[in-house]
Amino acid sequence: MTSRIGAVEAVTAPQEAPRPRPALLVRATRGGPLAGLFRAYGDLMAGVILVIGAVWVLGLITLPQVFMLEQSLWHERRGGEQVQLTLEIDNAYQDLELLRFDRMALEGDQSAEAEAERERIQARMAELEQRIAELEAAERQPVRTYGLANYARMSGLHFQIFLKTLVAGALVTLIALVVCYPMAYVVAKVATPQRAALLMLGLVIPYAINELLRIFAWLMILDFNGVLNTMLGWLGLAPVRYLDSSAGVFVGMVYAYVLFMVFPIYNTVETLDRNQIEAARDLGASTFKIHSRIVIPHAKPGIAVGCIMTFMLAVGSYSVPQILSRGSAGDWFSQLIYKQFFESFNWNTGSAYAFTLLLTCIAFIFVMMAIFRVGIRDIAR
Amino acid sequence: MADIAAHGKDVHLDGVSIRFGDFTAVETTDLTVRAGEFFSILGPSGCGKTTMLRAISGFIEPSTGEIRIGGEAMRGVGPNRRPTAMIFQNLALFPLMAVWENVAFGLEMRGWSKKDRKRRAEELLELVALPEQSGKKPGDLSGGQRQRVAIARALAVEPSVLLLDEPLSALDLKLRQHMRGELKEIQRKTGVTFIYITHDQGEALTMSDRIAVMKAGVIEQVAESDRIYRDPATPFVATFVGESNVFEGRVSATEGRFATVDTAVGPLTGENRDGLAPGERAMLFVRPERMQLGGNGALPNQFETTFERRDLEGPYVNLFFERDGREYTVHLTNVDEAGHAIARRQRIGFRPEAGLVLRAGELDAGEDVA
Repeated sequence: MTSRIGAVEAVTAPQEAPRPRPALLVRATRGGPLAGLFRAYGDLMAGVILVIGAVWVLGLITLPQVFMLEQSLWHERRGGEQVQLTLEIDNAYQDLELLRFDRMALEGDQSAEAEAERERIQARMAELEQRIAELEAAERQPVRTYGLANYARMSGLHFQIFLKTLVAGALVTLIALVVCYPMAYVVAKVATPQRAALLMLGLVIPYAINELLRIFAWLMILDFNGVLNTMLGWLGLAPVRYLDSSAGVFVGMVYAYVLFMVFPIYNTVETLDRNQIEAARDLGASTFKIHSRIVIPHAKPGIAVGCIMTFMLAVGSYSVPQILSRGSAGDWFSQLIYKQFFESFNWNTGSAYAFTLLLTCIAFIFVMMAIFRVGIRDIAR
Repeated sequence: MADIAAHGKDVHLDGVSIRFGDFTAVETTDLTVRAGEFFSILGPSGCGKTTMLRAISGFIEPSTGEIRIGGEAMRGVGPNRRPTAMIFQNLALFPLMAVWENVAFGLEMRGWSKKDRKRRAEELLELVALPEQSGKKPGDLSGGQRQRVAIARALAVEPSVLLLDEPLSALDLKLRQHMRGELKEIQRKTGVTFIYITHDQGEALTMSDRIAVMKAGVIEQVAESDRIYRDPATPFVATFVGESNVFEGRVSATEGRFATVDTAVGPLTGENRDGLAPGERAMLFVRPERMQLGGNGALPNQFETTFERRDLEGPYVNLFFERDGREYTVHLTNVDEAGHAIARRQRIGFRPEAGLVLRAGELDAGEDVA
C-alpha cells in the first residue's frame, strides 16, 4: 500500500516543480501556516486575501487602538502653567511697546547721552523680541509629559459614573439573559417549525428598524406625557417620571440589545439533540434538572457569547442614554468619553477613559470564559 | 456482578390508536407483552412502530384506548414517572458528562448521594462488560462501548420495561451480531421486559421470544419467532420476514389440508392455511431452503426454469433461477459439492408440506430490509 502511494507522488511531483514563482512568494509559501492558503487559492487570490486581512487587522483594529493608547499616555501643560505663559508673553509685549515709546521720545536728541540711551533701549528691545519668540514657540509647542497621569486623573464623580455604568451594564446583561434563555429555548426546541419561524420573524423585524427609531419608540412610551402614563391615567393612577431616573435608560437598553443575547443562545440550543432532552426526562429528570444538567451546559458557549456581546454593547452605548435621559438622569460613561473628546477637547483624558472601558470589557470577556469554562474556540464556533 | 432488583412487568395495549391530525400512525391495536419476555416489534420504516414505542414510554398519549403497565393505567403519567426506560436509536448519551455520570444520571435525579451513584454506576458498567471506562467521555468510546453505556444508563433506574428503538442500527454488521447476543444475555440476567423496535428481521428473529410484525400502522401477526418464520399469517409477513418464493393464482382444488393453486408455472399444491375455497385468489409461499432441485420425477410441484447463477455464502449455496421474468431462489446446504453441476434448463420444485397457501394480499416491497 505504501509503495503505491509513493509511486503516485513520484509521478505528480515533477509536474509541479518547474512552475516559476516570485522569490518572495516562494519564501512565504515554503512552509508554515500560509502555505496552505497559497495552495488552496493560488498566488493572486491568496495575496489579495492577505492584503485585505492585513488592512483589516492593522488599519481597523491595531492602529486606532495604538493611536488611542498613545494619546492616553501623555498630557500637555495646561491650566495654570499655560495661563502664566500667556501672561508672560503679554507682559513682554507691553514692555516692548513701552521701550518703543521711550525710543520715540528720544528721537531728535543728538546728545551722546541720548545716543547711549537709544542703544541701550535698542539692545533691550532685541532681547525682549527674542524672549517673546521663545515664549511663543513654547506656547505653540507645549511640552508633552508621558505617564499614566491621565488614568489617575479620573475624578470621584467620573469614577462613580464608571462604576454605575458597569453595574448597570451587568444588570442589563442579566435581565437580557433571563428574558432570552426561555425565549431561545422555546423557539429552538418547543415550538413547531412553522411557529418557530414566525417567532423568529417577530424577533428580527424590530431589528430591521433603525436603532434610533426604536429608542424613540421607547421615548414615546416612557415620556411623562407618553403612552404608559396615559394608560396609568385611565386607571386613575398618578403619572411617573420614568426618564428622570436611570430606569428608562435601563429598559431601553434591555430592549435595544436583547437580540444579541437571543441569537447566540438560540444557535447553540438549536444544535442540542432533542433525544437528549427526552432521555433525561425518561430517566426521571424534572424540567429544572433538564435545563440545569442538559440544556444549559450544552448552551454555555452561546450564553457566554450573548453575555459578552450584550455587556459590551450596553456599557458602550451612547445613543440609548443620550436620547432617553436627555440629561435629566446621570451620565453614562460613554457620554463622559464623548464630552472629553468633543466638549473639553481633551483627547488625552478621553482616550484614557475609552481605553479603561476597553480594558474592562476585555476583563469581562475573560471572567465570562472562566465562569462558563469555555475557551476562545468554543466562543468562536 | 450487579443484581438488578427490577422485575419485568407486562404491557397491555387496549384499543390503542395514535393519530396526528388526519394521519393515523397506529390503527386501533390490542397487544399484550408478557412480563419478562423479549418482545420485538418488526416492520419497515414508517410503519408506526416507533410511535407505538413512544406511546408506551409516555412521550405521546394515544388518541384512543389505554396502555397498562403491570396492570396500572398510564394515561396522564409522564415518561419520567413510568416504570419504563428507553434506549434511543442514536443512544442520546450526554456528551458533556463522564460515562459513570451518564449511567448514574437517573439515580442523580432520584436523589442518590454521589458516592452511592458512583458505586452503582461501576457495578452496572461491569454488568455490561465495560469496566475501567467510567471516567471517559462518551465521545472517547467506540460504537459498541457507547451502546453498553446506554444500556447501563437505562438499567440504572431499574425499569420494569426496557424500550429499545433500533439501538443497534448504527453499528457495523459484526458488532451488531455480537451485541444481539449480549442484549439477549442481559435480558435473561435481569428479567426485565424488553420491547425491541427494529426493521431488521434477522435481529428480531435471533433475539426475540415473540415478534409483532407491523405494516402501515397495523399489527399483521404476533407470534413466537419460530412461528413467524414457519407459519406467516399474511403475504406481507411471509415476504418481510425471511425470503420466500412467491406464486400467485387462483385456487383450483382443495383436498384435506392442501390446496392447489393455478399459477403461471402450472398447478402447485401447498398447505391451505387460510382455508381457501376453489376460485379464490391465493398466494403460495415457499422458503428457499425448502425448495429442491427436481428432474427425477419423484418430486411434486416441479416446474422448468432457466438457471441464472450460483452464489456461495459459505455454509450454504444460493441458486437463482428465472422463468417468465420472475426469479426463484433455492438454498442448499453446502455439503457434497451442492449445486455444482446445474443444467441450464433445470426443473425445481417442493413438497406440498413446504408450500403455504394464503389469501392474496400485499407483499413487502422489500426496499429497506437490512
